[in-house]
Amino acid sequence: MEDSKGKIGIKEFIAIIILTIGTKLTDDTTVILYKQMENAAWMSPFVICAFSILPIFLLIKVMNIYENKNLADVINQLFGRFFGFFTVMILWFLLFSALTIDSAVYTDIISTMYFEKTPVIMIYGLLMLVSAFGAKKGIEHIGSVAWSVIFWIKLSLLAALILTFMQGEILFLFPIFGNGAWEVVKESSLRTSLNAEFLYLGLIFPYLKNKKDYKKGTWIALAIITTELSFSLAAFIMLFDHKGIQLMDFPFHETIRYIEIGFLENIETFFFPFWLIASFIRFAFYLYLTAILFGSLFSIRNFEHLLPIIATLVVFLGIIPENPTFTIFKLRESLLFITTPIFIILPFLLWAAAKLKGEFKNEKAKASD
Amino acid sequence: MLGDLLKKAFSSNKKSNPFHEKSNKEEIQIKEQKIHSDLEYSMTIFKEIYSFPDNKDVKFRTFQIGGLKKQACLISISTITDIKLLDEYAIQPLLRNDNPSFSIENVLAVQALSTVEYNKDAIYEINKGNAVLFIEGYTKAYSITAANFQGRDVSNADNEIVLKGPKEAFTEKAASNISLIRKRIRDENLIVESAVISKRTKNELFIVYIKDLANKQLLDNIKKRVSSLNVDSVQNLALLEQHIEERKLSLFPSILYTERPDRASAFIEDGYIVLLMDNSPDSLVLPATFWSFFHISEDHYLRYIYGNFTRGLRMIAIFITLFSSSIYVGITNYHTEMIPPDLLLAISATREKVPFPAIIEVILMEFAFGLIREGGLRVPTPIGPTIGIVGALILGQAAVQANIVSPIVVIVVALAGVCSFLVSDISMNFAIRIIRFFFILSAGFFGFYGMTAVFTAGLFYIVSIKSFGVPYLSPMTPKYTSSKDTVFRRLLKNEIFRPGYVKPKDMKKT
Repeated sequence: MEDSKGKIGIKEFIAIIILTIGTKLTDDTTVILYKQMENAAWMSPFVICAFSILPIFLLIKVMNIYENKNLADVINQLFGRFFGFFTVMILWFLLFSALTIDSAVYTDIISTMYFEKTPVIMIYGLLMLVSAFGAKKGIEHIGSVAWSVIFWIKLSLLAALILTFMQGEILFLFPIFGNGAWEVVKESSLRTSLNAEFLYLGLIFPYLKNKKDYKKGTWIALAIITTELSFSLAAFIMLFDHKGIQLMDFPFHETIRYIEIGFLENIETFFFPFWLIASFIRFAFYLYLTAILFGSLFSIRNFEHLLPIIATLVVFLGIIPENPTFTIFKLRESLLFITTPIFIILPFLLWAAAKLKGEFKNEKAKASD
Repeated sequence: MLGDLLKKAFSSNKKSNPFHEKSNKEEIQIKEQKIHSDLEYSMTIFKEIYSFPDNKDVKFRTFQIGGLKKQACLISISTITDIKLLDEYAIQPLLRNDNPSFSIENVLAVQALSTVEYNKDAIYEINKGNAVLFIEGYTKAYSITAANFQGRDVSNADNEIVLKGPKEAFTEKAASNISLIRKRIRDENLIVESAVISKRTKNELFIVYIKDLANKQLLDNIKKRVSSLNVDSVQNLALLEQHIEERKLSLFPSILYTERPDRASAFIEDGYIVLLMDNSPDSLVLPATFWSFFHISEDHYLRYIYGNFTRGLRMIAIFITLFSSSIYVGITNYHTEMIPPDLLLAISATREKVPFPAIIEVILMEFAFGLIREGGLRVPTPIGPTIGIVGALILGQAAVQANIVSPIVVIVVALAGVCSFLVSDISMNFAIRIIRFFFILSAGFFGFYGMTAVFTAGLFYIVSIKSFGVPYLSPMTPKYTSSKDTVFRRLLKNEIFRPGYVKPKDMKKT
């Protein structure tokens, strides 16, 4: 009996992307968008999408030259060992910071919105424990789990959004451009790193069953994420208006508290488990990526063994901030700003390096053989 | 108690053998010898081996063959041999024969006849219920197939009951089980291979598959695993299952155990491999996925809509079994706001006098239900109704009136209990009932957060386990070409593919 070789198909690939990036609409990312763009925030996903098309396109082009190399290997190959090492180091540092900050945010959500009395370290510990367990199972199983639950998670989100639209006020969306069209474009472009995970997806490129799926899956996922984020942003605005929403930290969770179905007035606990499953999968994937990057930085082959250590480190770093709701929010915003230029420029550099080194010609030569 | 359990789970018997055993080298040497031409000598050996005449049912029938004028002896074990057949078709023709030049093969009017040359083979044949004929001057003996083991006839399935569809079940006789399968699959490519799997008892295992469907690697893997067993005796398939499964400490079963020949045949026709054995009123199907434990044969016998309706009910029942008690614990401890106020007041009113926390209350009730269930299973039929009365009245009614548990807990636990019966496979049933306790505990510690954590971790575990190389949740994920028979089935005309994860040699059913 041949064992499946730890590879994932297109369905699992898309499910992973949607759960890792799409889950952002439930945390304070939305607030970061609302802050400057107010009621026009729902347009920003499209602008961000437009800005990320070119980097993603170039990245796919570069990645497709190599069959079995992940992003880190490609960077090392194109930039040489010295600069390659530094680039991968920076990428790892950004990813690790994102993992720490995001998991701190999610812990904060759970502890402020649902479990006020439970000690934060227990919540954080359990979150990372389950995620590390999932990550240790490997990419194939992260993909399988993501695919088997994505339908239900998205169904619950859809239900929440439909209820929100029904109870919302459409006039809150106007004036349509909020603080002005230029403002929307400018502020969105600064936050393009919302899609920065697409860069890191290059790391799991060798694990795809079919290399064409990488291209196809990425574009499909980008379209889905952009639409759902946009719809959610619009829905939240319609429920709370632009003033109210700026006072909130986690609009999604306020929304599911606010909406009701018939005689059931508090239905947030129906949505909570689905959101949690998505979060577990998201952090499992983040942990896995962090481990891959760290592994390739210091040439550790069995990088799975790093996971418990990384997860523990994340917990202890993540609980340092005394007032997570504000501190982490600031940190997160700064991280987004820092990541944006890297996300946009790195694929360009990679592409240029590949062009200069003549890698594309090699590929064509290979194809024509 | 728990420590003892863990010790038992993880300890192994690798220590050196401390026992002083008596050597039986001499006996083994005799058994390895060729059959001696001196009948007298052979008989002395065999009488010693079979402890004649202490061993009451071993018969040595000595007589003279007519025509040949030679002494002969027929050895058989009378309790497992068809005496009448031996008498009519073997002994009588030999006695009455008066033609001096004839061959033994032509006189014996029995269905199957073979020759053996070694003592040990003769012993093996005798133990199998056959009669062995030794003749003076011959260095070989004739084995006459006349086995007649006692057993019950084919009867109705007891555990996998269906309303529509065949009612027969396997019995303890492997021969009749094979016949039941052959009755359904009239194909010359249906192979019934046999293998001896134990050393002392020489238990015989039958491996049934269709030659041009079953995957060769899978077959080799199974044969290898079966032949590498190093045990004295494997009495039946339920024991064999535990010998050959991959993850012996896993909560989830990885080999399907079914007593229905129609189900076994359906699996064989899909390229699976079925194991049969004497003394086992059932069969083992491998590899197995989560879905094979979830399905029953009636899903396909019922019309499309009805079949899927029961599937839907069963899936919901699994979730109710898994989650109802833990949701109750979670809600009453952590998420009280989600219940409508009137219901909340009603619940808290009934809980007012109960001295225990919700989780203790639920575990108490679950434990009681488990006891009733286990007790009801073992109780002799004449006193069966007592269990019902004791269970319903004392543990339900009286416990509520005594304020030990609140009525809603009785409802919740009873609902979960009833729903657990919808999963008919006994192994999966146990798995689900045990997992339920994990959820209750996690709900007690972390409410819905803990439950979701356990659920996600469990999901990660369940997608990662494999049965003979087949992922447990396939074909759902990872995806394989198949008839997509998972939670719901499709129309029969659309079920055209054999499951791809078994890697059959022929994918299309049409």
